[in-house]
Amino acid sequence: MSSTTAVFRVEWRKLAAQPRLRAGFAVLLIAPWLFIALVLHQDRLPVETLYGRYLKDSGFATPLVVLVFSTQWIFPLIASLISGDVFSSEDAHGTWKTVLTRSVSRGEMFWGKVAAAFTATVAAVVVLGTSATLAGVALVGSQPLVNVGGVLVPARSALGHVALSWLVVLPPVLAFAALAIAVSILTRSSVLGVLVPVVIGLVMQMYVFLNAWDTVRHVLLNSPMNAWRGLFDTPAYTDPLERGLLVALAYLAASIAISLIAFHRRDITGG
Amino acid sequence: MDGEPAVRARGLTKRYGDVTAVDAMELDVPVGVAFGLLGPNGAGKTTFMRMLFGLVRPDAGSVEVFGRNVADHGVAALAPVAGFVESPRFYPYLSGRANLEVLARLDQPYGDGPDIDLVLETVDLTDRQRSRVREYSYGMVQRLGVAAALLRNPQLLVVDEPTNGLDPAGIRDMRELIARLAGSGITVLLSSHNMLEVEQVCDRVAIMRRGGIAFDGSITDLRAMADDVGYRLTTEDDRRALELCEHTPGLHRLELGLDGLRFEASQSAVEDLTRRLGAAGIGTRELAARTTALETLFFRLTESRSEVLM
Ligand SMILES: Nc1ncnc2c1ncn2[C@@H]1O[C@H](COP(=O)(O)OP(=O)(O)OP(=O)(O)O)[C@@H](O)[C@H]1O
Ligand SMILES: [Mg+2]
Repeated sequence: MSSTTAVFRVEWRKLAAQPRLRAGFAVLLIAPWLFIALVLHQDRLPVETLYGRYLKDSGFATPLVVLVFSTQWIFPLIASLISGDVFSSEDAHGTWKTVLTRSVSRGEMFWGKVAAAFTATVAAVVVLGTSATLAGVALVGSQPLVNVGGVLVPARSALGHVALSWLVVLPPVLAFAALAIAVSILTRSSVLGVLVPVVIGLVMQMYVFLNAWDTVRHVLLNSPMNAWRGLFDTPAYTDPLERGLLVALAYLAASIAISLIAFHRRDITGG
Repeated sequence: MDGEPAVRARGLTKRYGDVTAVDAMELDVPVGVAFGLLGPNGAGKTTFMRMLFGLVRPDAGSVEVFGRNVADHGVAALAPVAGFVESPRFYPYLSGRANLEVLARLDQPYGDGPDIDLVLETVDLTDRQRSRVREYSYGMVQRLGVAAALLRNPQLLVVDEPTNGLDPAGIRDMRELIARLAGSGITVLLSSHNMLEVEQVCDRVAIMRRGGIAFDGSITDLRAMADDVGYRLTTEDDRRALELCEHTPGLHRLELGLDGLRFEASQSAVEDLTRRLGAAGIGTRELAARTTALETLFFRLTESRSEVLM
């Protein structure tokens, strides 16, 4: 599908040309370094946060603490800022009619844009995770890490677990991205495209805090977001991970299906 | 493809809620002509063009481009078509050239695109090609729209009110450009609400009225239908003049306005009227043609409440 590839490349060119996106990536790159540098300069530690108490003991705690923060609202925000924008900026600029009167079908346009949005979202997560890991190892060191089960994990496998933890949040992050795409297409508004997924993320979060029904909790997107925690227990457990993967895929598939249908049916009257 | 018109609309209909924007429209645009689609605001010109481009789905009927149904064949049917509806839109944060590069990639994923330098030259934007579109004037964006269309090397160029919002020099240049393109063998479909423009640029014309076609023929046919010109008359006593006018044969749409009497009439009817005014002792202060014959016809075709005149 060469036209889909063309759309993908065009989207990347457009994303790269936008200063706010470059600024966003710079923030993701720098923020973990600032965070750990600040922590090392003060006496108190964020003991409330999972792995917060070990920030000064092992550099591998840094990416895990950043991961805990990010799963709450940063990931939904990143996902929707990028993905919502890929679709609704065409509405904002009135350019749907410009690109849809070239030689690209709506289907090719849709998949090319989804691919670009997902790739950019994954890139953002990878940049943040890598930067956090490097910051921890550089400023604290690569000491063994005490896991949730109270067992000391040697540096090499700690690194592997960190990488795996960041990897397994990708499906729910992409589910948020897909949600943002659906909202952007349905509302044609970039503001709502960003706001709605973040609010949905926060509502789910609150629901989990209120600690209601397990059945409902399991079908929320934060269970897959937090499922990586089981990897660090001794013995490690992966039930939530497997269930969470299915939940994330279900959100993803439903959002994409709705988006695709809405995008195909839509009359382009603006611009 | 011989014999197939460039565009063929059959029973084409689009409704927005209660509004029927395009109503069972029937139209053939022959290959190789410059075709003017004329109509007042809200006649349905833009909606028709959106359906032609596959941007809007018809509620009924079909539109074919060089014999291929747009709804069935999508981008394949539209391969020989380029243009824009309403004012062209681009990415404001990219340069004019970068916008064209992006669009060229969407035309031909493998590159080997047409010459961007050439189309920029054609629309006289070479000097400003590196400026962001955000910094372009309205007329420059309009010209970039034409450049973007030419990039596709179209057999059919569809432009929606291309001179809208341009200054007099811009209007002149745009009309010249379109006439030149039409002369080079491209079929041009142009919408406008300016009779003069269509007269200058096109050899065939269709007049749209409330979603349908009120006239379809050559400019010569249209001229033949047009005999009455709109006039404005001021006299020393407009009330008496009005009475007199009412009894003069061949005067239509007579009304008394603040600036005098308005009516439509043929040349001979006007001559007759001036003789009658003189005979009645009513001094004429001013007698002026308000509109050209074709404009008068345009208003008659698009404003009359009677059914379609063709
Ligand atoms: N997106 C829309 N939603 C609702 N009504 C619409 C929409 N687009 C057009 N219409 C209606 O359809 C009718 C035809 O509009 P259209 O824009 O096709 O006319 P036009 O001939 O291009 O007019 P203009 O000369 O003002 O550009 C109008 O009554 C308009 O209000
Ligand atoms: Mg219009």
